[in-house]
Amino acid sequence: MNMAKWGKNLFILISTAIFVNGHAWSAPPDTSPQGFAWKDSAEIYAKICAYCHEAQVAPPIRNRSLPPEYIRAVVRNGNRAMPAFRASVIDDESLAKLADFVSKSETGY
Amino acid sequence: MASKYIALPKGVSETVFDTAISRFREILGDTAVLTNAEQLAPYIKTMMPVPDADHAPSAALLATTVEQIQKIVAICNQYKVPIWTISTGKNFGYGSAAPVERGQVVLDLKRMNRILEVDKDLAYALVEPGVTYQQLYDYIDEHQLGLWLSVPAPSAIAGPVGNTLDRGVGYTPYGEHFLFACGMEVVLANGEVLRTGMGSMPNSNTWQVFKWGYGPYLDGIFTQSNYGIVTKFGFWLMPAPPAYKPFVIQYEHEEDIVEIVETIRPLRISGVIPNAIVIAHALYEAPVKARRSDYVSGPGAIPDEAVRKISKDHKLGIWNVYAALYGTQEQIDVNWQIVTQAFKQSGKAKILTEQEMGDDPAFNYRAKLMRGDMTLTEFSLYNWRGGGGSMWFAPVSQARGSETLKQMALTKQILAKYGLDYSGEFIVGMRDMHHIVDVLYDKTDPAQTQAAYQCFDELLTVFSAQGYGTYRVNTAFMDKVAETYGPVQRKIHKTLKDALDPNGILAPGKSGIR
Repeated sequence: MNMAKWGKNLFILISTAIFVNGHAWSAPPDTSPQGFAWKDSAEIYAKICAYCHEAQVAPPIRNRSLPPEYIRAVVRNGNRAMPAFRASVIDDESLAKLADFVSKSETGY
Repeated sequence: MASKYIALPKGVSETVFDTAISRFREILGDTAVLTNAEQLAPYIKTMMPVPDADHAPSAALLATTVEQIQKIVAICNQYKVPIWTISTGKNFGYGSAAPVERGQVVLDLKRMNRILEVDKDLAYALVEPGVTYQQLYDYIDEHQLGLWLSVPAPSAIAGPVGNTLDRGVGYTPYGEHFLFACGMEVVLANGEVLRTGMGSMPNSNTWQVFKWGYGPYLDGIFTQSNYGIVTKFGFWLMPAPPAYKPFVIQYEHEEDIVEIVETIRPLRISGVIPNAIVIAHALYEAPVKARRSDYVSGPGAIPDEAVRKISKDHKLGIWNVYAALYGTQEQIDVNWQIVTQAFKQSGKAKILTEQEMGDDPAFNYRAKLMRGDMTLTEFSLYNWRGGGGSMWFAPVSQARGSETLKQMALTKQILAKYGLDYSGEFIVGMRDMHHIVDVLYDKTDPAQTQAAYQCFDELLTVFSAQGYGTYRVNTAFMDKVAETYGPVQRKIHKTLKDALDPNGILAPGKSGIR
């Protein structure tokens, strides 16, 4: 990391700390230049898939050894009432991991 | 020679479009400009009864900053390329993520998804377009802010910006979402950035607390419109009440809607019942518990006798009134007495609370929606007919019993003519009711798809002839609905469009405005 970047990061850290201390009544604003990003496949599954596939709205998909490539295709294209999910919602890398997560029978959820 | 694009914008040659695309790539980078069929597939699927190809985009742009959007509109103006802006792109039954016209470039703002501020004391949020309700819900929970959201039924995967800009609704006391919007940042077609209301003033700290600013109020013209691209959006949140009491009141006959609305209206206008109540028909609730094929087979609308059997088998009313009380326990106790006294008068109502309903799946998801929790259980509706076809027919009614009965009967009659079921509910208002009907059909069945299109067209024609306007519609019928509101309003909309977007680059066709 060069010094200029380091300095900028330190400035953001200090700014955030001042804000939190000075305005305890308010949640700190998100000062990060990047927005939301998925933590892992379990989070995507819980916060998108499970609302239907674990709630008797749509068929179960875990523990069925569904091929990852099939899962990826259905997520991107949708299937009948199942909506299509864009790369801006679930990026390609996260989708590849999610497909493995759903496909494997031993994943905990 | 075959085009390298799956569609082209109207009136734009492939050579010109090549140039525009290369300019977009300079701004966004190659990976944020999508043009091949595989990348664009998720933008094409809709639930409407028209070929998906009619709404296929030519490209999608994944922008993340205001500056990028300013540069994009400059290029669009230069090459006359139209863009269709989406946020979370989950406007199911209204057009999903697809553009209103084939060949438009989708400006996808899902990755512009920062929660910029949530103020606990003043109970407001300022967010970017790609923020989902789930993201905000988790943020509020993580920071223990003690605030509640108001969400539409697709809650977790949809977001406040897109929903409110399309004048969508939720189910809490803040359910009429645009009433609780406060301050927008808008990129105009000429690249200027407008902050509405108090946001126009440098150093103001009242952007999210006072709606009106000074002079004509502008926020309304950026809803259901194509006059600008909203890049920041403020709205109010509800402080979590100390106590919450959801309940359902069931009635056994369709005609009882008259008594229901006459009983509820004074309670709603006076604030005894504060939330956006729902009066749901049995067929709106049945898919959570029952399968259509267990009760009826073959073509045609489901007979009333079968609906009564479903209601009996699954402990549903023919009408199911979902409402809730919020506040301290003392406040709730007093209001509960007023509510039960009002509904007990005729002896027709069955009043049920969490105590009686237990883990009933229909009651549970309604109870979640009325407190702004995440659930997608309402998507069970799509299993009723299967095949992924859905359009929301959404006429506005007076909150008057005789009017709601008339609208229900008329809707049911037209749906039955085309072999479709009445899956309807009345929601939200104090003085109005949004009459929301899911026109469900099997999109894999060409005959049913054609019937659904003709049915929807007739619903709009018949209702508008009787003076009933629809408040929101899918992208296949926007011109038709715009026409029903008459030539003077259309002309004003066009005058504004010509003034704010003379090259017509922003979503031409949205709400019938070009």
